[in-house]
Amino acid sequence: MDQTFRKSMAWLHTWAGVVLGALLFAIFWMGTLSVFDKEIDRWMMPDTRLAAPLETVSLDRLLPQAAAEIDPNVGLWWLGMPGDRQPVAEFWYVDMNGEWYGPAFLDPRNGARIADQGTLAGTGFIFPFHFSLHLGWQNLGYWLVGLAGMAMLALLVSGVVIHRKIFADFFTFRWQRKLPRSSLDLHNLTGVLGLPFHFVITLSGLIIFFAIHFPGVVNSVYGGDRATFNRDAFGSFQREATGAPGSLAPLDRMAAEATRIWGGDPPGFVRVWRPGDANATVEMRRTRARSIDMNVDAVHFDAATGEVLRTHTAAPVVHVQRFIAGLHFIQFEHWPLRWLYFVLGLSGCVMTGTGYVYWVETRRKRHAAQGLPGVRIVEGLTVGAVAGIIIATLAFFVANRLLPLGVTFAGQERAALEVWAFYLIWLVTFAHAWSRPGRAWREQCWAIVGLAMLAVVLNAATTGDHLVRALAHRHLWPVAGMDLLLLAGAPVATLIALRLTRRRIAARPSQDALKAAE
Amino acid sequence: MAGWLLLVGIVTAAYLGFALLALTQARPWQRLGQTAPPTGIRRLALRTLGGLALLSALVLCVVRDGPSFGALLWATAISIAAVAVALTLTWRPALLRPLAAMATAERKVRYSRMETNGKGTAKVPPNNPTRP
Repeated sequence: MDQTFRKSMAWLHTWAGVVLGALLFAIFWMGTLSVFDKEIDRWMMPDTRLAAPLETVSLDRLLPQAAAEIDPNVGLWWLGMPGDRQPVAEFWYVDMNGEWYGPAFLDPRNGARIADQGTLAGTGFIFPFHFSLHLGWQNLGYWLVGLAGMAMLALLVSGVVIHRKIFADFFTFRWQRKLPRSSLDLHNLTGVLGLPFHFVITLSGLIIFFAIHFPGVVNSVYGGDRATFNRDAFGSFQREATGAPGSLAPLDRMAAEATRIWGGDPPGFVRVWRPGDANATVEMRRTRARSIDMNVDAVHFDAATGEVLRTHTAAPVVHVQRFIAGLHFIQFEHWPLRWLYFVLGLSGCVMTGTGYVYWVETRRKRHAAQGLPGVRIVEGLTVGAVAGIIIATLAFFVANRLLPLGVTFAGQERAALEVWAFYLIWLVTFAHAWSRPGRAWREQCWAIVGLAMLAVVLNAATTGDHLVRALAHRHLWPVAGMDLLLLAGAPVATLIALRLTRRRIAARPSQDALKAAE
Repeated sequence: MAGWLLLVGIVTAAYLGFALLALTQARPWQRLGQTAPPTGIRRLALRTLGGLALLSALVLCVVRDGPSFGALLWATAISIAAVAVALTLTWRPALLRPLAAMATAERKVRYSRMETNGKGTAKVPPNNPTRP
């Protein structure tokens, strides 16, 4: 291949990687955890670990009971049906100003409201972090993630271009070699063998947010009329409120009718628009548990009579977009695939992390000799971005188990305190990484080991659902899975701590030199 | 139950497929303590068998979950199977020796025939156990 081209690709790969790698790691890490967001919810919200006999839940009982506790004059009720991964029903409402309130969790057996667990947990913190970085201002987070996604695609392509022995090294990982070699091997191994997944997951992630990143698409066809676009594409439908009071026909009958229309698939969530108004509509949305594509099938009913007003299903182009989105969102029920996604997500984390290690290790001597600060800066960034975010996540879990329910501090509610713990600890890891070069890796890996074990112990101590008990009950398997992964993470972190510091033990320079000379 | 059995079959077929493909390459053979991978018709046979194993994994995936979930299951499972083969070669290369022995079985026969012909010294397949 043309050497100039390869060199320019190498330059692109190196610098895009160094500049955006920290962001990419954060996105990959949070995305990987989001694969099990609802399981993390169960771990962090002990009262929702219900042994729910998942029989048909009466909507006529659930929804009015949930709504009875709120202001009757609202714009929307939203009810998520309980399912395999979430044994509780989830209730939200939107006030007249468009503000969302929730979630409130309901016991599907009797409709009782479960006490506020005081946490954002997996679906409220980790999952949104993955695509928005919780930077709401001007959609900044979405744009940064979009930028990182585009960079990721460029990194994947340029990485393939600059890889000289893509087939000869297809199965090569020389763990025993010096750190630059072994980290590059691992970077290549996860990069090449995970390439199909990494490419598809990144591209699909970008396609999900087409309306934010490419608003011109909607603007040029619909002249900026989002409401019409949303109706055509996703089946949004509302009626003007009359102001006159209305009634609510039996919801279970509407659900049965929707299920019949969808050939046996039940609703996944239900919305009631302008409840209480004479013109209220009930919207049933088909479950997304049974196919890859995130269908937009909807049936709208007249709330008062229960008559079908409108049915919607995706047009071909939308169907393609929803299939691609579904590949990314994995809202379907398929445990083997969920685990495969998780492992492949971790492989993306490994790829990003080892890329950084390689950059630092190949420049360490030269920068030291020339007095350049680059290695020190990037090594601190790497440790904080890789080990640091893992420590911060574990601190988030530990804080969840330590903070009593209902606690407030400095005007912050419990859920916010957990998030504060995450960000403060993350900041501390960066400070630590920059102030203790050379030792930061090892020390932060040990911190991961300690926090992971502590989280498992605290879960057992505060909820009583220790590993043995959790494994024995099907409904506690999400808790057991989380504990097991925490326990599995500890030896891996130990191994990495030992490996990353081995080069400081200068016992075998001759042997390494011999191998390098081969 | 059938779902679990098929899953085991898929993982086995995918792993075996990549292991066979790895045995046509130089570096994996070095890890196994041998100098050169098989050549010619034998290499072609290994590649064909490896490809067929991967294909059968796809068939099992589609049988288990239908074309849509099956294809996704296959695409993700084979990535991880390939990494598993690479990690086996790194940490437990001995596990692949039986497979390697099968791949070279016929060659050994030919060597022994040469010995019975009485031509020269006893030859053994190139083997260099000093390599890690």
